[in-house]
Amino acid sequence: MLLLGKIALGTIGAMIAGTGLLCSEGFVDVNVIQHRDSPPHVHVIAPALLAPIAIHLVPDKKLARASEQIQPWLPTIRAALDGLRDAPDLTIVEVSNAEEYVQVAKSGGEIVVDVANRDDTVHVSVPIRAIDSSVNALASRAPGSSDDASFQAE
Amino acid sequence: MHTRRYVVTAGTALVCALSLTARTAPAAPAERFLHVQVSQADKDGGDVNVNLPLEVAEKILPTINRGPLHEGRVTLDKDQLQGIDMPTIISALRDSPDNKIVTIRQKDENIDVAKTDGNIVVHVRESGKSGDNVNVTVPISVVNALFSTEQQNQIDVAAALNALDKAGDTFLVTVESTSEHVRVWIDSHSQPQ
Repeated sequence: MLLLGKIALGTIGAMIAGTGLLCSEGFVDVNVIQHRDSPPHVHVIAPALLAPIAIHLVPDKKLARASEQIQPWLPTIRAALDGLRDAPDLTIVEVSNAEEYVQVAKSGGEIVVDVANRDDTVHVSVPIRAIDSSVNALASRAPGSSDDASFQAE
Repeated sequence: MHTRRYVVTAGTALVCALSLTARTAPAAPAERFLHVQVSQADKDGGDVNVNLPLEVAEKILPTINRGPLHEGRVTLDKDQLQGIDMPTIISALRDSPDNKIVTIRQKDENIDVAKTDGNIVVHVRESGKSGDNVNVTVPISVVNALFSTEQQNQIDVAAALNALDKAGDTFLVTVESTSEHVRVWIDSHSQPQ
């Protein structure tokens, strides 16, 4: 019985540690509401760590072009993420007209994009750390890349 | 007993020293933000607001290497400055008293360039119902930083941005026209006031 208890405790501990690791980079929140007669509503909340993991699982030839294109912009992206990480919460861009409203903001360590028009209301929030990890994962897939995938802007 | 008294005295002295250091430590400078606001006069037109911490712009600019912009510096064509010695002109302006520098009166527009309170101020007034009114105010320290490179045909945008960060709250550009209003300014508020 003692042995079973130890096994159960170890298993639960491993599950808690795994959950903690999975949630370590926060969550990506995507909420799409379509304004129609029978509107589908899509709301996905997923651990942000899944994004760089998914990038590592995509075959090389599918990502090669995107990886090559992002390489020259890596220093700029990292500088932007680094600066935004230290910046206070603020609305970065806000565009509004008679038909559509778009807002890109930094809020609590996340980049939040809200779009509202006649047809849809979309809300996307992504932790800045997750964007950083995903960009590094994408850049490391470029053919002959010397980029250090473990680099963190922090 | 003596040891305990010594420890208490040393601890008290350390706490006092730390609190004194905290009181005399300089406060971190307030973060400054670049704001761009575009409002369309037409009811169907849109509004655009951009708010960017200057620190982010200062970090990003040196990393961009596109066209004439490299590492925060822009290389101009040889003909663009037409041999004008901008650093000398700016130095003379900086040391001169406030005054009107250039006044141009034409049939369809009036242009005034003046030095006021350490700023270069440009007013452009177009005549007619659809004429634009443009006001540009740039601190001389920013203009000085812009032309602080060793190469005559190069302007240092990164240095100008850094000088802008140190300048006070200021309206940089305002454009008033029949179709839109544009304002660009720097202050220490994250959102437009």
